[in-house]
Amino acid sequence: MTGDLLLVLGSALASGVEVVEAATIVLALGMSRGWRAPLLGSAAALGVLAVAIAAVGPALERIPIDTLRLVVGTLVLLFGLQWLRKAILREVGVLSKHDEDAAFAQEVARARVTGRAHGSLDRYSWTLAFKSVLLEGLEVVFIVLTLGVNQGSIPLAASGAVVAAVAVGAAAVLVRRPLSRVPENALKFGVGVTLTAFGTFWAAEGAGAEWPGGDAALLALVALTAAWSLLFVRVVRVRAA
Amino acid sequence: MRRALAGVADFVVGDDLWTAVAVVVAVVATALVLRAGVDAWWLLPVAVPLAVLRSVTRASGA
Repeated sequence: MTGDLLLVLGSALASGVEVVEAATIVLALGMSRGWRAPLLGSAAALGVLAVAIAAVGPALERIPIDTLRLVVGTLVLLFGLQWLRKAILREVGVLSKHDEDAAFAQEVARARVTGRAHGSLDRYSWTLAFKSVLLEGLEVVFIVLTLGVNQGSIPLAASGAVVAAVAVGAAAVLVRRPLSRVPENALKFGVGVTLTAFGTFWAAEGAGAEWPGGDAALLALVALTAAWSLLFVRVVRVRAA
Repeated sequence: MRRALAGVADFVVGDDLWTAVAVVVAVVATALVLRAGVDAWWLLPVAVPLAVLRSVTRASGA
Protein backbone atom coordinates (compact mmCIF):
# COMPACT_ATOMS: atom_id res chain seq x y z
CA MET A 1 0.00 0.00 0.00
CA THR A 2 2.78 2.42 1.02
CA GLY A 3 4.77 1.40 -2.04
CA ASP A 4 1.75 1.92 -4.31
CA LEU A 5 1.09 5.40 -2.93
CA LEU A 6 4.73 6.38 -3.40
CA LEU A 7 4.65 4.86 -6.87
CA VAL A 8 1.71 7.06 -7.91
CA LEU A 9 3.25 10.08 -6.19
CA GLY A 10 6.64 9.62 -7.85
CA SER A 11 5.28 9.20 -11.37
CA ALA A 12 2.79 12.05 -10.87
CA LEU A 13 5.49 14.46 -9.64
CA ALA A 14 7.87 13.57 -12.48
CA SER A 15 5.10 13.84 -15.04
CA GLY A 16 3.92 17.20 -13.65
CA VAL A 17 7.42 18.70 -13.81
CA GLU A 18 8.05 17.55 -17.38
CA VAL A 19 4.61 18.67 -18.57
CA VAL A 20 5.25 22.18 -17.21
CA GLU A 21 8.39 22.43 -19.39
CA ALA A 22 6.77 20.95 -22.50
CA ALA A 23 3.61 23.06 -22.01
CA THR A 24 5.71 26.25 -22.04
CA ILE A 25 6.94 25.48 -25.56
CA VAL A 26 3.54 24.30 -26.85
CA LEU A 27 1.88 27.44 -25.41
CA ALA A 28 4.49 29.71 -26.99
CA LEU A 29 3.94 28.06 -30.37
CA GLY A 30 0.15 28.03 -30.08
CA MET A 31 -0.13 31.66 -29.03
CA SER A 32 2.28 32.97 -31.64
CA ARG A 33 1.62 30.72 -34.66
CA GLY A 34 -1.75 29.01 -34.09
CA TRP A 35 -2.84 25.95 -32.14
CA ARG A 36 -3.48 23.22 -34.71
CA ALA A 37 0.09 22.19 -35.53
CA PRO A 38 1.50 22.22 -31.95
CA LEU A 39 -1.50 20.27 -30.64
CA LEU A 40 -1.17 17.70 -33.43
CA GLY A 41 2.59 17.45 -32.81
CA SER A 42 2.00 16.97 -29.08
CA ALA A 43 -0.65 14.30 -29.72
CA ALA A 44 1.71 12.44 -32.07
CA ALA A 45 4.49 12.48 -29.44
CA LEU A 46 2.09 11.23 -26.74
CA GLY A 47 1.12 8.41 -29.11
CA VAL A 48 4.78 7.41 -29.57
CA LEU A 49 5.32 7.48 -25.78
CA ALA A 50 2.22 5.32 -25.20
CA VAL A 51 3.47 2.79 -27.78
CA ALA A 52 6.89 2.77 -26.05
CA ILE A 53 5.26 1.94 -22.69
CA ALA A 54 3.05 -0.74 -24.28
CA ALA A 55 6.02 -2.32 -26.11
CA VAL A 56 8.77 -2.18 -23.48
CA GLY A 57 6.63 -2.77 -20.36
CA PRO A 58 5.63 -6.40 -21.03
CA ALA A 59 9.22 -7.24 -22.09
CA LEU A 60 10.56 -5.92 -18.76
CA GLU A 61 7.93 -7.91 -16.86
CA ARG A 62 9.41 -11.16 -18.20
CA ILE A 63 12.79 -10.54 -16.49
CA PRO A 64 13.21 -12.35 -13.12
CA ILE A 65 12.26 -9.96 -10.32
CA ASP A 66 15.59 -10.10 -8.39
CA THR A 67 17.64 -9.36 -11.52
CA LEU A 68 15.18 -6.65 -12.47
CA ARG A 69 15.33 -5.03 -9.04
CA LEU A 70 19.13 -5.13 -8.96
CA VAL A 71 19.64 -3.68 -12.46
CA VAL A 72 16.63 -1.38 -12.70
CA GLY A 73 16.92 -0.38 -9.04
CA THR A 74 20.50 0.74 -9.65
CA LEU A 75 19.41 2.66 -12.78
CA VAL A 76 16.55 4.34 -10.87
CA LEU A 77 18.99 5.24 -8.10
CA LEU A 78 21.47 6.79 -10.59
CA PHE A 79 18.65 8.61 -12.38
CA GLY A 80 17.12 9.87 -9.11
CA LEU A 81 20.48 11.13 -7.88
CA GLN A 82 20.81 13.25 -11.03
CA TRP A 83 17.51 14.98 -10.20
CA LEU A 84 18.39 15.31 -6.52
CA ARG A 85 21.94 16.59 -7.05
CA LYS A 86 20.74 19.24 -9.51
CA ALA A 87 17.85 20.24 -7.22
CA ILE A 88 20.29 20.70 -4.31
CA LEU A 89 22.69 22.72 -6.47
CA ARG A 90 19.80 24.88 -7.77
CA GLU A 91 18.56 25.44 -4.22
CA VAL A 92 21.96 26.78 -3.12
CA GLY A 93 22.33 28.88 -6.27
CA VAL A 94 25.16 26.96 -7.96
CA LEU A 95 22.86 26.07 -10.86
CA SER A 96 20.24 28.51 -12.08
CA LYS A 97 16.59 27.63 -11.64
CA HIS A 98 14.50 27.01 -14.74
CA ASP A 99 12.67 30.24 -15.61
CA GLU A 100 9.42 29.41 -17.43
CA ASP A 101 8.68 33.08 -18.22
CA ALA A 102 12.11 33.53 -19.84
CA ALA A 103 11.80 30.23 -21.74
CA PHE A 104 8.34 31.27 -22.94
CA ALA A 105 9.49 34.72 -24.09
CA GLN A 106 12.49 33.22 -25.89
CA GLU A 107 10.32 30.66 -27.66
CA VAL A 108 7.71 33.25 -28.69
CA ALA A 109 10.45 35.51 -30.12
CA ARG A 110 11.96 32.60 -32.08
CA ALA A 111 8.54 31.43 -33.33
CA ARG A 112 7.63 34.90 -34.58
CA VAL A 113 10.74 35.34 -36.72
CA THR A 114 10.75 31.83 -38.15
CA GLY A 115 9.19 31.73 -41.60
CA ARG A 116 6.13 29.70 -42.40
CA ALA A 117 6.11 27.36 -45.40
CA HIS A 118 3.03 27.32 -47.58
CA GLY A 119 0.77 24.40 -46.84
CA SER A 120 -2.00 23.27 -44.56
CA LEU A 121 0.21 22.38 -41.59
CA ASP A 122 2.80 24.59 -39.88
CA ARG A 123 5.76 22.20 -39.95
CA TYR A 124 7.93 24.28 -37.62
CA SER A 125 5.29 24.23 -34.87
CA TRP A 126 4.45 20.56 -35.39
CA THR A 127 8.10 19.44 -35.27
CA LEU A 128 9.07 21.57 -32.29
CA ALA A 129 6.00 20.52 -30.29
CA PHE A 130 6.60 16.86 -31.21
CA LYS A 131 10.28 16.97 -30.18
CA SER A 132 9.61 18.86 -26.95
CA VAL A 133 6.81 16.58 -25.77
CA LEU A 134 8.75 13.47 -26.83
CA LEU A 135 11.99 14.46 -25.08
CA GLU A 136 10.30 15.63 -21.86
CA GLY A 137 8.05 12.56 -21.98
CA LEU A 138 10.92 10.08 -22.32
CA GLU A 139 12.00 10.76 -18.75
CA VAL A 140 8.42 10.18 -17.59
CA VAL A 141 8.25 6.92 -19.58
CA PHE A 142 11.51 5.76 -17.98
CA ILE A 143 10.16 6.55 -14.51
CA VAL A 144 6.73 4.98 -15.18
CA LEU A 145 8.27 1.80 -16.59
CA THR A 146 10.95 1.33 -13.95
CA LEU A 147 8.76 2.20 -10.97
CA GLY A 148 5.76 0.34 -12.39
CA VAL A 149 7.53 -2.89 -13.32
CA ASN A 150 9.46 -3.11 -10.04
CA GLN A 151 6.38 -2.39 -7.94
CA GLY A 152 4.34 -4.80 -10.07
CA SER A 153 1.90 -2.31 -11.59
CA ILE A 154 2.73 -0.33 -14.72
CA PRO A 155 -0.94 0.78 -15.07
CA LEU A 156 -0.85 2.30 -11.56
CA ALA A 157 2.36 4.20 -12.31
CA ALA A 158 0.99 5.30 -15.68
CA SER A 159 -2.27 6.49 -14.11
CA GLY A 160 -0.36 8.79 -11.73
CA ALA A 161 1.58 10.23 -14.66
CA VAL A 162 -1.51 10.67 -16.85
CA VAL A 163 -3.58 12.39 -14.12
CA ALA A 164 -0.74 14.82 -13.38
CA ALA A 165 -0.09 15.46 -17.08
CA VAL A 166 -3.76 16.16 -17.79
CA ALA A 167 -4.09 18.42 -14.73
CA VAL A 168 -0.98 20.47 -15.54
CA GLY A 169 -1.74 20.56 -19.29
CA ALA A 170 -5.32 21.70 -18.65
CA ALA A 171 -4.11 24.40 -16.25
CA ALA A 172 -1.65 25.68 -18.86
CA VAL A 173 -4.37 25.81 -21.56
CA LEU A 174 -6.84 27.53 -19.21
CA VAL A 175 -4.48 30.26 -17.99
CA ARG A 176 -2.75 30.53 -21.40
CA ARG A 177 0.46 31.55 -19.68
CA PRO A 178 3.62 29.66 -18.76
CA LEU A 179 3.14 27.98 -15.38
CA SER A 180 5.88 29.99 -13.75
CA ARG A 181 4.22 29.87 -10.32
CA VAL A 182 4.66 26.13 -10.13
CA PRO A 183 7.45 25.51 -7.58
CA GLU A 184 9.45 23.59 -10.14
CA ASN A 185 12.60 23.04 -8.13
CA ALA A 186 10.63 21.82 -5.12
CA LEU A 187 8.85 19.32 -7.38
CA LYS A 188 12.17 18.21 -8.88
CA PHE A 189 13.51 17.85 -5.35
CA GLY A 190 10.51 15.61 -4.58
CA VAL A 191 11.07 13.49 -7.68
CA GLY A 192 14.76 13.12 -6.81
CA VAL A 193 13.97 12.07 -3.24
CA THR A 194 11.31 9.55 -4.34
CA LEU A 195 13.44 7.98 -7.09
CA THR A 196 16.51 7.81 -4.84
CA ALA A 197 14.48 6.08 -2.11
CA PHE A 198 12.91 3.60 -4.56
CA GLY A 199 16.29 2.95 -6.22
CA THR A 200 18.03 2.35 -2.87
CA PHE A 201 15.23 0.00 -1.77
CA TRP A 202 15.18 -2.09 -4.95
CA ALA A 203 18.93 -2.17 -5.59
CA ALA A 204 19.55 -3.49 -2.06
CA GLU A 205 16.68 -5.99 -2.37
CA GLY A 206 17.98 -7.13 -5.75
CA ALA A 207 21.42 -7.63 -4.19
CA GLY A 208 19.77 -9.96 -1.66
CA ALA A 209 19.07 -7.67 1.31
CA GLU A 210 15.93 -7.93 3.41
CA TRP A 211 14.72 -4.58 4.70
CA PRO A 212 13.68 -4.36 8.33
CA GLY A 213 9.93 -3.70 8.34
CA GLY A 214 9.49 -4.85 4.73
CA ASP A 215 7.76 -2.32 2.46
CA ALA A 216 7.48 0.17 5.35
CA ALA A 217 11.24 0.68 4.98
CA LEU A 218 10.47 2.49 1.72
CA LEU A 219 8.64 5.22 3.62
CA ALA A 220 11.55 5.48 6.06
CA LEU A 221 13.95 5.77 3.11
CA VAL A 222 11.90 8.62 1.63
CA ALA A 223 12.01 10.47 4.97
CA LEU A 224 15.74 9.76 5.41
CA THR A 225 16.60 10.85 1.86
CA ALA A 226 14.57 14.06 2.23
CA ALA A 227 16.30 14.75 5.57
CA TRP A 228 19.87 14.35 4.33
CA SER A 229 19.12 16.27 1.13
CA LEU A 230 17.79 19.26 3.09
CA LEU A 231 20.75 18.96 5.46
CA PHE A 232 23.15 19.08 2.49
CA VAL A 233 21.49 22.26 1.24
CA ARG A 234 22.27 23.86 4.61
CA VAL A 235 25.79 22.42 4.74
CA VAL A 236 26.69 23.72 1.27
CA ARG A 237 25.14 27.13 2.03
CA VAL A 238 27.06 27.47 5.30
CA ARG A 239 30.37 26.29 3.81
CA ALA A 240 29.99 28.53 0.77
CA ALA A 241 29.16 31.61 2.91
CA MET B 1 25.31 2.39 -32.16
CA ARG B 2 28.12 4.04 -30.21
CA ARG B 3 26.22 7.34 -30.20
CA ALA B 4 23.07 5.60 -29.01
CA LEU B 5 24.96 3.97 -26.12
CA ALA B 6 26.57 7.29 -25.24
CA GLY B 7 23.10 8.87 -25.25
CA VAL B 8 21.72 6.19 -22.92
CA ALA B 9 24.73 6.55 -20.60
CA ASP B 10 24.27 10.31 -20.51
CA PHE B 11 20.53 9.87 -19.83
CA VAL B 12 21.14 7.59 -16.84
CA VAL B 13 24.48 8.82 -15.46
CA GLY B 14 24.33 12.52 -16.32
CA ASP B 15 27.27 14.82 -15.77
CA ASP B 16 28.66 13.29 -12.57
CA LEU B 17 30.45 10.07 -13.41
CA TRP B 18 32.16 9.83 -10.00
CA THR B 19 28.86 9.60 -8.11
CA ALA B 20 27.55 7.00 -10.57
CA VAL B 21 30.69 4.86 -10.11
CA ALA B 22 30.49 5.23 -6.33
CA VAL B 23 26.85 4.12 -6.33
CA VAL B 24 27.53 1.09 -8.55
CA VAL B 25 30.49 0.10 -6.33
CA ALA B 26 28.21 0.42 -3.26
CA VAL B 27 25.57 -1.84 -4.87
CA VAL B 28 28.22 -4.45 -5.77
CA ALA B 29 29.70 -4.20 -2.26
CA THR B 30 26.23 -4.74 -0.77
CA ALA B 31 25.81 -7.92 -2.82
CA LEU B 32 29.29 -9.21 -1.85
CA VAL B 33 28.87 -8.46 1.87
CA LEU B 34 25.45 -10.16 1.85
CA ARG B 35 26.96 -13.24 0.19
CA ALA B 36 29.55 -13.31 2.97
CA GLY B 37 26.66 -13.72 5.40
CA VAL B 38 26.47 -10.17 6.81
CA ASP B 39 23.07 -8.44 6.75
CA ALA B 40 24.09 -5.34 4.78
CA TRP B 41 20.76 -3.59 4.07
CA TRP B 42 22.23 -0.45 5.71
CA LEU B 43 25.18 -0.12 3.33
CA LEU B 44 23.43 1.72 0.49
CA PRO B 45 21.54 4.19 2.74
CA VAL B 46 24.96 5.14 4.19
CA ALA B 47 27.00 5.16 0.97
CA VAL B 48 24.53 7.09 -1.21
CA PRO B 49 24.37 10.29 0.90
CA LEU B 50 28.16 10.26 1.32
CA ALA B 51 28.57 10.16 -2.48
CA VAL B 52 26.04 12.97 -2.93
CA LEU B 53 27.67 15.10 -0.21
CA ARG B 54 31.03 14.78 -1.92
CA SER B 55 29.47 15.62 -5.27
CA VAL B 56 27.55 18.74 -4.19
CA THR B 57 30.40 20.14 -2.08
CA ARG B 58 32.81 19.73 -4.99
CA ALA B 59 30.35 21.22 -7.49
CA SER B 60 29.71 24.22 -5.26
CA GLY B 61 33.36 24.70 -4.34
CA ALA B 62 32.32 24.63 -0.67
